[in-house]
Amino acid sequence: MTRPRRRGGADRARPVGDLELLALDLETTGLDPARHEVLSIGTVPVHGLTIELGGARQYAVRPAGSSGVGGSAVVHGITDDAAAAGAGLEEVLPLVLADLGERVLLAHHAAIEVGFLRSACRTHGLILSDVVVVDTVRLQRRVLRRDRPHGHVTEDELGLAAARRHLGLPRYRSHDALTDALACAELYLAQVAALGEGLTLRQLVR
Amino acid sequence: MVGEVTEVADFLAAHEPFRELPQPLLSTLIRRSSVRYARRGTRILSVGEDNDVMYVLRSGAVDITDSSGGLVERSDPGTSFGMSTLVERAPSRYDFTAIEDCLLLVVPESAFRDLCERDPGFAAFYTSAHTARLRRALGVLHAANRGGAVLRTSLGDLVRRPPVSAAPTTSVREAARLMAKEHVSSVLVLDRGELVGIVTDRDLRSRVLAAGRDPAVPLSTVMTPRPATARPDALAFEALMEMVDRTIHHLPVVDVGGRVLGLVSSTDLMRLEHNNPVYLVADLQAAPGAAELAGLARRIPVILEQLVAEDATAQDMGRVVTSLGDAIVRRLLVLAEAELGAPPVPYCWVVLGSQARHEQGLGSDQDHALVLADGVTREQDAYFAALADRVSAGLTACGYPPCPGDVMATNPRWRVPVSTWRGHFARWLDTPSPQAVLNGSIFFDMRPLHGTHELVGALRADVLSRTGRADLFLAYLAQHAVARRPPLGFFRGLVLEKEGAHRDNLDLKAGGVAAVVELARVHALLNGLDEVNSQARIVAATRAGSLSEGLGADLQDAHEFVSYLRLRHQGRRVRAGHAPDNFVDPSTLTDFERRHLRDAFRVLRTAQQALTQRLPLEHLS
Repeated sequence: MTRPRRRGGADRARPVGDLELLALDLETTGLDPARHEVLSIGTVPVHGLTIELGGARQYAVRPAGSSGVGGSAVVHGITDDAAAAGAGLEEVLPLVLADLGERVLLAHHAAIEVGFLRSACRTHGLILSDVVVVDTVRLQRRVLRRDRPHGHVTEDELGLAAARRHLGLPRYRSHDALTDALACAELYLAQVAALGEGLTLRQLVR
Repeated sequence: MVGEVTEVADFLAAHEPFRELPQPLLSTLIRRSSVRYARRGTRILSVGEDNDVMYVLRSGAVDITDSSGGLVERSDPGTSFGMSTLVERAPSRYDFTAIEDCLLLVVPESAFRDLCERDPGFAAFYTSAHTARLRRALGVLHAANRGGAVLRTSLGDLVRRPPVSAAPTTSVREAARLMAKEHVSSVLVLDRGELVGIVTDRDLRSRVLAAGRDPAVPLSTVMTPRPATARPDALAFEALMEMVDRTIHHLPVVDVGGRVLGLVSSTDLMRLEHNNPVYLVADLQAAPGAAELAGLARRIPVILEQLVAEDATAQDMGRVVTSLGDAIVRRLLVLAEAELGAPPVPYCWVVLGSQARHEQGLGSDQDHALVLADGVTREQDAYFAALADRVSAGLTACGYPPCPGDVMATNPRWRVPVSTWRGHFARWLDTPSPQAVLNGSIFFDMRPLHGTHELVGALRADVLSRTGRADLFLAYLAQHAVARRPPLGFFRGLVLEKEGAHRDNLDLKAGGVAAVVELARVHALLNGLDEVNSQARIVAATRAGSLSEGLGADLQDAHEFVSYLRLRHQGRRVRAGHAPDNFVDPSTLTDFERRHLRDAFRVLRTAQQALTQRLPLEHLS
């Protein structure tokens, strides 16, 4: 399904306007890829500085284990029944990786998304190599620091909702994976605009 | 699995015209759209630029300005823009600039066209644009208020005070004292809050005095038990029928829960008709003196408020209020002549400005002048000075404040013979200066009211035969007219009055009604038209080809709509015990009214631009 990719220095010099990204958000039963499971995946492609709504995808995932969604249902609203109606991760994952292709992965707190993806790929014999990641949490830290060079940036300000509010983006009520992926993609557009012209991929991943 | 972007769908479904779209069409539209971000200050689309998308503002604010930099609209979230280029298949006529950081939903041309084909309502929303929407708005506004005062007014609206009441055990004497103290002709008998009876003047007369009973007896022995009542939502008309039927004059108003809200008397109901303007004109004409006239003039706001309730158009309301104003001036002149004797030479009292145009509102300034027969001497002028003083003072007492610019017959400059008036007009027309034109423009809205009308007829005909050729005069006049920018941005609270008592309020006069009035005046004078009323001027100018059919009709609608809101506001102010003004708090307007007010302002702006192209303003500095 996937093939090893080369992402050389030339790629990293690409201006943000030419980048192809895939904003991705996972709803999971917890934060630890070793113990917790993916319940749903939302993705939306970003073409340069444009979010393509036609490419938006949302997958419900049926957990493999028997532990169920547990208390996490409080966060994402996905119940055991709803989760059971989804497809198995082994069916969903190849579709997501196909959408990702050679795109840059865009996520808020990307370490969690990447951790779960890697873990899932290992489990199902797929490869997720050399994926370039842009994390909107890190970009937000830079946006905030630029406005106050010596000030302290608190964790509270780096949450998705707080970051969006800071940049004047509308508040979203629902918190499914796709809404959060879109929220992350919009946040990215606002951050890139705030950080100024002439940005390249290299500066985004730094 | 295709993702349903619920936040975007919910957002669109909350705004026109997407609200009306069937779910599958909305989903398709979203799938074909994209999202972009524009930082504050970004030019999204420029005049003359080709464009192949429609934008829907998701968050932030966008200013739409025309090629001369005039603000056409300040868009708020939910507003679509850029579609005029798709509808007209032409380059953009406007600049679109993000004035806040904006999130934009971008709909490609193909998706827009497909949707227009599939959904006629969607297409109509954009293709018929703001003009047709405005016309529809007028219909809805008036339909909502259809019906006469007696048919429309509910009893709940007529109840002015809580009921005067007493317990069943109260003595008749005590009750009579209470009625005298409260100046009422009846008292409701309440037993622990529940209505058990009513005692009226007539009962005291027939059941106590004539029957020779002791005034110490309790009310319960003389009252009419279980009186007829009415619900607060019953119409005045129904109450009137009930009273006639039962030959009673008082009707307690009781709500569903049995709570007594108050009392409506046949006098209250009669008063609804007593404020008929026809009767008031007759009363004004018969007023024995200035003091009585001032008393009668206090009824004018009540009449205006009633006209609003009765579904009158602003045009009709303007005529009624003006007719009453005319009647007051005529009566004051007749009273003054009776006091001062016959005039030494023929004269004509002329009204100017809004009164001349039949567009008077409440609290309009006095604007008048005297045209005297040529050859009037200085001694004879003393008579007219005295006449003007009396009329002006009388008008002030009637609630018409003196003109701040002193355009009144009391000013010797505006109390002159016909030949001097000819000189004034010749100066304005032949050697104009911008300020003189501004000051003089009010005299081009002139209507003879009392005296020898012929003095004015010949003067007006002479002046109008020359205005069409007075290029520089017209250019200055047009410049003033075009400078009255409609407050298009008020929807975001940005183009409101910045200072003073009217801070954060919308001036419906300056950029609204007055802007139409000035436009209409320029077109009338450009074509030498005799009409003075703005609507009549627009009709005549359209007939003369000075305004396009479509724009003429739109301008009439816009004028009517803004004038209507203004007059309604004035009526409410007076009812609430305030002086009438033109400053409306935008939060008191419904969404519907705001939207159509915006459409009206856009029409105004378009008409101003058309005038700019018509008259060469560029060489004026």
